Amino acid sequence: MTDSQTILLATLPSPPAKAALPPSSIAPAKVAAPAKPAEPQHSNEAIERSIIDQSARGPVLTFFSTAIFWLLVSTVLGYIASKRLHDPDFILGPEWLYRMLGVDGLFRSIFDSNFTYGRVWPAYNTALIYGWCSLAGMGVATWLIGRLCRVAIQAPAVLQLGAWFWNAGVAVGVIMILGGHNTGLEYFEMVRGARVLMFIGYLCIGIWGLILFRYKRTVAPYISVSYLVAGFFLFPWFFGAADLLSSAPTPGVMKNVVNAWYQGGLFNLWFGCLGLASAYYFIPKVINKPIYSYNLAKIGFWGWVFLGGLTAMTKLSGGPVPAYLVTISVAASILSIIPIACLTVNIGRTMIGHTDKMASSPTLRFTYVGTVFFAIAAGLGVLGALRGVDSFTHFTTWDYGVKHTLLMGFFSMVMFGAIYYITPRLVGCEWLSRTFIKLHFLGTAYGGATIIALFLFGGLAAGFTLNESAVDASPSNPGREFIFTNVMANGGWQHVIRTYIGYVFFGVAQIIFAIHFIFMRLRIGQPAGEPTLMSNPGEAH
Amino acid sequence: MDKPSTLFTGIFGAFLVSTSVMVLLPNSQLSGLQPQIVWEEGQNSPSDMYPVKIEHSLGHRHGERIYVENGCYYCHTQDIRDPQFGPDIERGWGARRTVARDFIYNDTPLLGATRMGPDLGNYGWRDSEGKRFWRNEQPNDPTKPAVRDAAFIYKHLFNPRARTEASNCPSNPGLFEKHDIGAGVSPDAVAVEGKKQWLPTAAARNLAAYLLSLDRSHELKEAPVAKSKEAKK
Repeated sequence: MTDSQTILLATLPSPPAKAALPPSSIAPAKVAAPAKPAEPQHSNEAIERSIIDQSARGPVLTFFSTAIFWLLVSTVLGYIASKRLHDPDFILGPEWLYRMLGVDGLFRSIFDSNFTYGRVWPAYNTALIYGWCSLAGMGVATWLIGRLCRVAIQAPAVLQLGAWFWNAGVAVGVIMILGGHNTGLEYFEMVRGARVLMFIGYLCIGIWGLILFRYKRTVAPYISVSYLVAGFFLFPWFFGAADLLSSAPTPGVMKNVVNAWYQGGLFNLWFGCLGLASAYYFIPKVINKPIYSYNLAKIGFWGWVFLGGLTAMTKLSGGPVPAYLVTISVAASILSIIPIACLTVNIGRTMIGHTDKMASSPTLRFTYVGTVFFAIAAGLGVLGALRGVDSFTHFTTWDYGVKHTLLMGFFSMVMFGAIYYITPRLVGCEWLSRTFIKLHFLGTAYGGATIIALFLFGGLAAGFTLNESAVDASPSNPGREFIFTNVMANGGWQHVIRTYIGYVFFGVAQIIFAIHFIFMRLRIGQPAGEPTLMSNPGEAH
Repeated sequence: MDKPSTLFTGIFGAFLVSTSVMVLLPNSQLSGLQPQIVWEEGQNSPSDMYPVKIEHSLGHRHGERIYVENGCYYCHTQDIRDPQFGPDIERGWGARRTVARDFIYNDTPLLGATRMGPDLGNYGWRDSEGKRFWRNEQPNDPTKPAVRDAAFIYKHLFNPRARTEASNCPSNPGLFEKHDIGAGVSPDAVAVEGKKQWLPTAAARNLAAYLLSLDRSHELKEAPVAKSKEAKK
């Protein structure tokens, strides 16, 4: 930030008088323009907001651009992984081109040995979780902290550096996984070096987040602040502890226990908190009305933070671990109905009477649909923890379905909503095409839902076959009747549909989104001022 | 929003609760696990010990690394559950459920979370006649169960669909090399092309050694070998 900007910030009227008011009075929402004429107070705030936005511009755009790069990478890897499951010997891409270039032999050997399902699947998860989701989440969170605490970012270069360290870590991790360096722990497959790079990057980013919070000029009465602090504060503890414990010479099943515990922190607390922070900010912002009940939101927050770290051991039910771990997790899962219900009721009641705005505002549509997916994901988590359901879904793709509901349904949707809101404020022009946004929404929602539904139903179908009793063979047949390939043969359709409908639709939507985002970076778009809506208000119905 | 001090205390408290219940408590219980040792009266050395550390020279460690590198654990579990959780034992995947003590010498137990292929936790388990069979998978000829030995594993690694058409297990040509047929086709050859034969590399051999070493059928006091239904009656 330049000196003149500092002076400008210092001369602004002090905000506390305004701070205690509900969000609607803090800032005129961009989408629903306030009816009353702008007062001088507002224009000062507008200047202040634009200073804060400008200070965040570099790092946040770096986060978004690299996140979108990883989104594309992960979608391609996901397509390959999914296709490998029903067509294990396929070769990607135009073979005639490889033959023409004389690299078909090389390509074939790389593709055959480095892109098998067992390597592509973890590479896909790493690119999706640590590449796209984490980077987008940190970008949105940085911007949100600046906005909510009304502080400009003092040293954007540190954040930039952090973003590049993190990216380097993810890149090393993904490439090493494809090359065969895998730790043997799910969702934590990156080699140590990659994890160290990511952790250094995180320290640059997360510490800045907390410092911004420390130097807040005011705190807007949004529950988002609590969620952001929780996410930023808890992630390094979980990540660091999991890193130390999985590199420590503690052999035995403790590594699996720690890994399951880390997954709880990663999915429930890191992605849960960052995503909910964004949802709790943008929904009231766009509809220009405070959240239905702040106390309900608070109960939901504390419930989620305390229970989120306890629910993950259901993954190990029946496994070689102390049984009480699973019992505690089942109990915590059932209790977590309370925070989930608080959140669902709160957002639902807030949206009453405003659902028509979803037709026009891309931010609201993505964020609200994402929040609905959160309720579904959390509900599925509770359902899957129940013993009766778990006996059918354990060891099947059901778990992938629940994780994808959280990552693709909830988190990605909320992040898209936030990116649609934030980017125009950083680059100074509006999104080019409403058709692009519409197509992106359709592909993401329906492609993502297809992927999720097929993981879930395919998991159930496989689970029923897996659970078939084994001893109904005829006495003359000494072997048992159960043939494992039945499981895959009965469930083979799910992989086909998931590949060609799920990942293709999802992938095309993300390519459209990436092109749209590149246009924004090149400042090709609508003139600033009027947000690009998906339809003109009142037109859609 | 809560006061910052309340917020940080609460959040850190949540982390502490989660860590102590989910990590520290089980660690205090699991870290002291020792092998089960049986001493006979008047003997100088134990007559029975389980599990035992497997010698490195067997290539076991390297084989395990190949198993992880290729992500076998994403589809093959090594986790036999009690009969109340599912028909794992009934199906012949193991003699008893696996317990924490089975894994005390494993660096990272490869329990796995998804079964897109059969469980391999007892792949090297021999039956009473000292032979290993796929007890449950004879799609082509039920009277001739496939014998589980190194040659069988090589064929599976090279092309899983050669024996089981519907398998979606990846082929791993990277684990094999072309060699000249010298004196004759090796018994380990997985394919012959003209004057060349495809032979397993050291990685494939060690992977097979690792798989054939997997045997968690030894009786443990916390996990008695399951009796068959007939024996119970």
